[in-house]
Amino acid sequence: MKVQVRILDRISILDCTGDVDLYSSPRLREALLAEIKPDGPSVLVGMSAVPYIDSSGIATLVEGLQLSRQTKTRLGLFGLRANARSVLELARLHKVFTIFETEQEALEKIGSAKPFDGV
Amino acid sequence: MRATCGLFVTMTYLVLEAQTGELCYATGGHLPILRRIGATGEAEIFYGDEGLPPSSEMMRVVIGSEPRLLNILRAVVKFRAQEAGFSKSDAEYLALAIDEAAANVIRHTYGGCCDAPLALELHNLPDRLEFTLEDGGPKVCEDQIRPRSLDELRPGGLGTFFIHSFMDECSYDPDFTPGNRLKLVKFLSRKGACCDESSSANSG
Repeated sequence: MKVQVRILDRISILDCTGDVDLYSSPRLREALLAEIKPDGPSVLVGMSAVPYIDSSGIATLVEGLQLSRQTKTRLGLFGLRANARSVLELARLHKVFTIFETEQEALEKIGSAKPFDGV
Repeated sequence: MRATCGLFVTMTYLVLEAQTGELCYATGGHLPILRRIGATGEAEIFYGDEGLPPSSEMMRVVIGSEPRLLNILRAVVKFRAQEAGFSKSDAEYLALAIDEAAANVIRHTYGGCCDAPLALELHNLPDRLEFTLEDGGPKVCEDQIRPRSLDELRPGGLGTFFIHSFMDECSYDPDFTPGNRLKLVKFLSRKGACCDESSSANSG
């Protein structure tokens, strides 16, 4: 699994590629937590190239969400594949995360959102 | 060939022409080759041009307790589940459940030790798939392994919830020693039940 970080319109985008499991989730955790900074730019996690995510990957995303709330940083996910979305729904986390269908939608909505609205 | 300790010895011999990309291989009872696809890292079972090998009712896979090897278990479970008649999405859920069970062994039973054995058996029966996951670690207390409430927003603790959600039966063999044998069962007749949120949410 690879995580590449890019900045677009002052938004940090983490492009994830590959399975997110017990082996690879520490890499996502390191990258994600490094991008979430106090009053820092919004952070988006691109998951269109993530065919599989397990509970350790979801735990990483939850940890990022909690840190984003503490630091008043907006965090969003986009491009989830069907099985990743199903797993989030089963864990009742689909309404906790801010999820966008596409990167374009994420950029438009997060870019135009208020500085921090609690999501 | 059958070795002691109930383990099979298998082999695969491959010749890869680096310039042409042509691959010739012969296999003697070994697991199918996994072919990695492109940059996504997805893996698929590769059988070449000779079609699917005959299925046996039982398959046993033994790996070391390394997290990077979990994708092997996932690929095998996904393939066998689809072969048994489960849909692709249900096969993916079953692979997730086995992955979570194996990850629990690596993290909790073995405490992160990466060179301990982890054995998965798959029994393809007419009405169900049975999985047994064996380890050589200290006995786990089954009463302490319960899915957590989904009302809490906290990292971790979802693995057991997924196992109970996607499997119809989940139990430890109390007579297995040394170590632990977890038996997981999924019935074919309950197709589509993998994501039955109402039933799974009440499981713990």
